[in-house]
Amino acid sequence: MTGPPPADRYARQTAADRPGIAQPVPLRPVPEQPWSRIFAAALLIFALLLGGWEAYWRAYGVHPGIANTYGLWTIQRRRIDAGEGDATVLLGASRVFFDIQLPVWERLAGRRPIQLAIEGTSPLPFLEDLADDPRFTGRVLVGVAPDVFFSGYQYRGGVLSYMRRESPSQRIGQWLSMHFVEPYLAFDDPDYALATLLARQPWPARPGKRWFTEVRKLSESELDRNTHLWSKVGDDPQYRELARNIWREGFEPSDDDPTPQEAAKAEHEQIERAAKAVAKLRARGVRVLFVRMPSTGEYIAYENKEFPRARTWDALLARSGAPGIHFEDYPELRPDVQGYYLPEWSHMARPDGERFTAALYRVIQRDFWGPGAAEAAAAPRSPAAR
Amino acid sequence: MVFNSLTFMVFFACVLAMHSLPFSWTTKKINLIVASYLFYSAWNPPFVILLWVSTVVDWYAAQGLVKARRQAARHAWMVLSVVANLGMLGYFKYGQFLLDNFTAVMSALGVAYHPAHYDIVLPVGISFYTFATMSYTLDVYLRRALPAQNLLDYALFVTFFPHLVAGPIMRPTELVPQFETPRAASPQQLRFGLALMTIGLFNKVVLADSFLSHVAESVYDGDKIPGTLDAWAGTLAFSGQIFCDFAGYSTTAIGAALCLGFAMSDNFRFPYAAVGFSDFWRRWHITLSSWLRDYLYIPLGGNRHGARRTYAALMTTMLLGGLWHGANWTFVAWGGLHGLYLAAERALRARFANYRPGPLMFVVLGLLTYALVNVTWVFFRAKTFGKAWVVLRGMLGQSGAVKPILDTFSLLCVLVIVGGMVATHWLMRGRTLESVIARAPAVLVSIVWGLLAFAIVIAQGAGSAFIYFQF
Repeated sequence: MTGPPPADRYARQTAADRPGIAQPVPLRPVPEQPWSRIFAAALLIFALLLGGWEAYWRAYGVHPGIANTYGLWTIQRRRIDAGEGDATVLLGASRVFFDIQLPVWERLAGRRPIQLAIEGTSPLPFLEDLADDPRFTGRVLVGVAPDVFFSGYQYRGGVLSYMRRESPSQRIGQWLSMHFVEPYLAFDDPDYALATLLARQPWPARPGKRWFTEVRKLSESELDRNTHLWSKVGDDPQYRELARNIWREGFEPSDDDPTPQEAAKAEHEQIERAAKAVAKLRARGVRVLFVRMPSTGEYIAYENKEFPRARTWDALLARSGAPGIHFEDYPELRPDVQGYYLPEWSHMARPDGERFTAALYRVIQRDFWGPGAAEAAAAPRSPAAR
Repeated sequence: MVFNSLTFMVFFACVLAMHSLPFSWTTKKINLIVASYLFYSAWNPPFVILLWVSTVVDWYAAQGLVKARRQAARHAWMVLSVVANLGMLGYFKYGQFLLDNFTAVMSALGVAYHPAHYDIVLPVGISFYTFATMSYTLDVYLRRALPAQNLLDYALFVTFFPHLVAGPIMRPTELVPQFETPRAASPQQLRFGLALMTIGLFNKVVLADSFLSHVAESVYDGDKIPGTLDAWAGTLAFSGQIFCDFAGYSTTAIGAALCLGFAMSDNFRFPYAAVGFSDFWRRWHITLSSWLRDYLYIPLGGNRHGARRTYAALMTTMLLGGLWHGANWTFVAWGGLHGLYLAAERALRARFANYRPGPLMFVVLGLLTYALVNVTWVFFRAKTFGKAWVVLRGMLGQSGAVKPILDTFSLLCVLVIVGGMVATHWLMRGRTLESVIARAPAVLVSIVWGLLAFAIVIAQGAGSAFIYFQF
């Protein structure tokens, strides 16, 4: 014989059941269970799973490193406000970020620059931010990746807003994470977050919805944001091909692409904004140097087609009046001459980045920032010099 | 600081350690107050002053109420408390909104009014702690409760960090008595509290942030027009996101308090299994709905003065309840829709007083309730009425031939998580979490706990704020 289900001995009233009275102290019963054993077992299961997860990603080739978070960027940006306003600052997208090696620069210059480049993001807002900050009186190198710079693309554009609103709690969290978590855990990387991993599985395509593969992990960073291309991109042919295919997807025309008129308007706006920021910086003696970082293969073919030099780079230098280094103009910076290896056509392998940094620094000192280079720095390198 | 952050983990470990040391009860309470101020100031230190203002005003107002001999004096003390709290709320939360609307009205009258820019940052959780402190004075005014015996207990009630910024909105009578005598969590309470925190954080970090938020954002924050499937998927995703976010916060808060030996009120009771809207509001954000009932609806007359006054009180309560959520007319529309639903349900219940639905119709009515609740979420989530209409048109199949917005994975997330959530709410409809855990094999509880904790860590949440912090 079955009777009604036994009453829930943990059932209790809520404020919804007691209108118009002073609410009593709530009941918070603990379910009857051997909680000590449950807790110990849960902790063991958690530790085993986490250990296995960490081992899996280490076996895949991932090393523990510092996450390139907004908080980490903010720490570097604050150096300018904290007495290092006369420093050399590196702005740009991933090419400046991955390819310029701070220890090499420091060895040659005697001082480490501040790395503020951030991947997939136009450096213009950051250049404007420095232009508006009277505490900054140093020098600034602005990397130009044509598809990012002249479109104004902002993959991580929220970083400035984060910096301005960073709470004490976020600041402490960043410090704790970069000292006590990130250096020890390989899986702690946005590329291996649970949802990211699941989303990149080969789910059937939805009719009418074009699939874009998200850019995969490409780099490894250190505490001061010195960053290099992840060795797997160069060493693992399959991973390298994946990285190239992701760029290829971006080279294909898409419905979301701007019209030629919209693209031209965006280019014009970026150049005008850059010119204004440069004028502001130069007015207080800051030296600005644009650098077109190397690219190769299908990437440079795409850039030359969509962002031809005469329409973009040359126009930028002419309008801003700032000097610039285009890698194609300097044999010491050309991958085809120096053999710099760019596994996925856009970023250099770490040893090549180190060689490139030294070469770039020497060119800058010789022609722009070093003693006796004032004349060259005064005028942009003309297209005729090519 | 947010619960889903490394900073909070370290903070909470320190608080637990301090609370377990052999200090006097008064010292422990002072420790908790200091910790709570630290917790709040971790967002923006100067706003701690607002907490002090809210605490001090209501403390003295309640003292004044007790000492007052004339009704007019009692009334004046009550008004002082309400004006001070609502004034603070109005200035920080609704100042820009009022100014914008005033400018719009002036413009409609042909007057070009250009106010100075009103650059005020909204103090996190202000709507929650002003309501908590007001309930203290109002309970004393309404002679439902006596004032706290000492300022320390009352100040701790206001600032106690688990409920401070996003509820549950505690009443002084629920918490102050717990501070009067020494309390310590038993080992069982500590472990169950940690288990509750794990469940809450799983809801927030894994379900809401990792899998549902991007689906809602794609539909609501982009400039593309959603078709029927995308509009429904985006809205259902938001219904899941806001539940997992907010109920996740409440569960974590309840767990954190329990780890310290304190009991906090239930705030959610599986609301997506509600049948009817009065049932929904007995299950959703219970501490707010009961607050509005006790301090707004009932004082407005409730159901004691005939049908017309009842409906007017109902609509007023829900419209103001909508406005409480945010300084935007879309929130008022959200509250207004709920008011209309409640009024319609009341009328139908009066008309069909003897109707009792069968099992199938019961489920149908439950699903209808959920569908209509989703319609209200459109106004809650959309930043403008324009966007709300675009999504509503999509949900009604009126968008025409449009391109898909969401990919297969996003649709699967909605199907699995929101489908699973609604099914779970129905299974748990008449039960409590505690009863289910009590009946489960201990091994299973361990495995689920370990898996939830593992999922939280590998989800790598970015420490994003809870949705209700902005309210």
